[in-house]
Amino acid sequence: MRLQLALLSLRRHRSRTLLAALGVAVSGAMLLDMVMLATGMRESFASLLGRNRFTIRVSPRGTLPFDSEATITNAADAATAIARVSTVTTVAPVLGATLHVLDAGEPVTAFALGVDPRVQGDYELLGGRHPTDPNELVASDALLARLSARLGDTLDVAVGFDPQLGTFAGRRRLLIVGRARFLFLSAGDRAAALQLSTVQAMGGVGRRDRVSLFMVRTAPGADVEAAQAAIERAVPRVTALSIAGAVAEAENRLSYFRQLAFILGAVSLIVGFLLVTTMMTVSVNERIGEIAVMRAIGVSRLHVVHQIVLEGVAISLAGAAVGLVLGIGTARYLNSILRSFPGLPDAIDFFLFQPDSALRAIGLLVMSGIAAGIYPAWRAASLPVAATLREEAVG
Amino acid sequence: MPPSASAERTIAIDERLAADVGLRIGDRVVLATEPGAQRGDTVSIAAIVKRRADPSEVARSDYRIRMHLDHLQRLTGYGDRVDRFSLQTAPDASVDSVVTRVNAAAFGFRAYPSRAIAVETSKTFLVVRRFHRAIGIITIVASATFLLCIMLLKVDERRRDVAAMRLMGVSRATVVRSVLLEASFVALLGSLFGVALGLVTAWFVNTHYQSVYRTPLRFAIVTTETVAISVVLSLLLGIGAGALAARRLARTPPLALFGR
Repeated sequence: MRLQLALLSLRRHRSRTLLAALGVAVSGAMLLDMVMLATGMRESFASLLGRNRFTIRVSPRGTLPFDSEATITNAADAATAIARVSTVTTVAPVLGATLHVLDAGEPVTAFALGVDPRVQGDYELLGGRHPTDPNELVASDALLARLSARLGDTLDVAVGFDPQLGTFAGRRRLLIVGRARFLFLSAGDRAAALQLSTVQAMGGVGRRDRVSLFMVRTAPGADVEAAQAAIERAVPRVTALSIAGAVAEAENRLSYFRQLAFILGAVSLIVGFLLVTTMMTVSVNERIGEIAVMRAIGVSRLHVVHQIVLEGVAISLAGAAVGLVLGIGTARYLNSILRSFPGLPDAIDFFLFQPDSALRAIGLLVMSGIAAGIYPAWRAASLPVAATLREEAVG
Repeated sequence: MPPSASAERTIAIDERLAADVGLRIGDRVVLATEPGAQRGDTVSIAAIVKRRADPSEVARSDYRIRMHLDHLQRLTGYGDRVDRFSLQTAPDASVDSVVTRVNAAAFGFRAYPSRAIAVETSKTFLVVRRFHRAIGIITIVASATFLLCIMLLKVDERRRDVAAMRLMGVSRATVVRSVLLEASFVALLGSLFGVALGLVTAWFVNTHYQSVYRTPLRFAIVTTETVAISVVLSLLLGIGAGALAARRLARTPPLALFGR
C-alpha cells in the first residue's frame, strides 16, 4: 500500500522523477567507478603477484625488484641459504638484462630474463616449449613480430653492449623454441626468456654468479612474515618482500589514485544525496495539503514518513540500477586509458568489477536515498494538521 | 678541480634523506655501492639540497646524493665513463643541426634533442591527463543533469506564480526571459562559489600531496583559463537547463499550472 502510494506519487511527475533518477544514476556510476578504482588496483596487483604461488620476492638490500640495476652477488650461495629456510619450498632466480638481436639491419633491443625454466614464474608459454638447452630462448609475440621470426628460427643475440667501444660482453646464436606471455610486462614489450646460466655467461664478469631477484614459494599455510625475516637473517645483503608488502609499496606509489577515488566517490555520494533531498523537499512542499488531509483522516505520522522515504529509496534504486550499467561502461573506458601507462604489466587493472564492491556502492546510494527522504518526510508529517488545512484551503 | 685523493671527499644529500636519517652538514657517512658491503668511502656532508619539482620522481621515495663525478667513477669502478652529457647550445643555434653534427661526428653514443626526451618521458603524464579529462567529462555530464533537475524543480515551484502572471496578461516571452534571468543568476552565483571552492580545494590538494610526496611540485593549478572555461561552461549549462525548464512552463496552460 505504502509502496504503491509512493510509486503513484513519483509517476505524477514523470519527467522530474526520470531526471532525478538519471542524476542519481550518473552519481551512482561515478561512485561505483571510484569504489572499483579504490580496490581494483590492489586486488589485481595482489592476484598478479600471487600467480604461480610465489609468496616472497628477494631483491638486493634496500631495493625493490627491478627498481634499480643492483644485483645480488654470490647468487648460488644466496639461493642455497634461502632454500635452507624451513618453510621455503622453491627458489626461482631471475636475472634481467638488455638483449640485442643483431640479425635485423638495425639491432633490435629486448628485455631478457635469465631464469630456471623448471621453477620460473615470469612467463606463461603460449606455444612451443621451455628453453631447456643453454642455447635456446622463448620470446614474446611483440619481439617475434618485430623480428618477423617464428619458432625454429635462430637469432644472433648479444648482451652487455659497450656504447663507446661498440662491443658486446657476450654474443651467441640462440634457437627460438617457444612463444610466451610475460606476466610482469605489458603486451607490447619486446621480451625473451633464456636460461639463467646463459644470461650470466653472456653478461661477462659483471653478471657472473649474480641475479636481480629470487622468487620464493613457501609451504601452504606457512607464516610468510616469519619466512621473510628468516631469509633476511640468512642473507643479510637482501631485502625480502611479501605480496602484502609489495602491494603496500605499489599502493604508496599510486596513492594518488586511491585518494582521488575517495574524494570523487564522496562528492558523487553528496551530489546524489543533495539531488534526492532537493527533489523530496520540493515534492513534499507541493503536497503539504495532501499530507495534511491524510493525517486528518487518520493516517499515521509513521505511514507518511514511510511513504516519502520509500519515494527517495525508489529513485535511488532506479538510479542505482542504471548507474550500475553506466558505471561498468565508464569503468571499462577509464581502465583502458590507465592501462596505457608505459610499462604497466598486462595483467594489471585499475578498475576491477567485484560484486561486493558494486553492492557496497548501491548500498551507500540507497542509504543516502533513505537519509535524503527522512528530513522532509518528518517535517511534513509533523505539521499541525488543522492550521495546514486552513492555510492550504485559503491559500 | 678535484681535490687530492688523500683529502676527505664531500657530498650533498637531499633534504628527505637528511630528515629521515637525522643527518646534518658536517656529519661523516660511509658510501658503498653494494648493500651490506664491508668497505666503503668515508665522506662528509657538505650540503643539504632541496629536491626539484620533477613530476617523474614524485611517486618514488628514493633518496638522492650528489657527489663529484670523479668520486662516483672511482667508487663504482666505472672508469672514465659517464651516462650522458647535457649540451647547452647558443641561443641562436639550430638544435637539430647540432644534433645531426654530433651524431655524424661521434662514435659510440647518440645525441637527442631535449624536447624528444621530454616527449618520451612525459608519456605517463599524458595518460594521467587523458584520465583527468575523461573524469572531467563525466563530472560535466553529472553537473548538467543535476543542474537541469534543480532548474526543473525550481521552475516547478513557481508554477502558481507563473500561472498568475500569465492570467494577468504577462506574455510567454516575458515568463521565459524571467526564468532565464533567474537561471543565469543562479548559474553565475554557483560558478563564483565553485571558483572559490576550486581555489580552496587546489590549496588543500597541493598542501596534502606536497606533504605526502614531500615535493615542492604543485599538483593543482587554478589558471585564468581554467576559471574562464568553468564559468562559461556552468553559465551555458545553467542557461540551457533554465531555457528547457522555462519552455516547458510557458507551454503549459495557466489553469493547468494552477492545478485546475
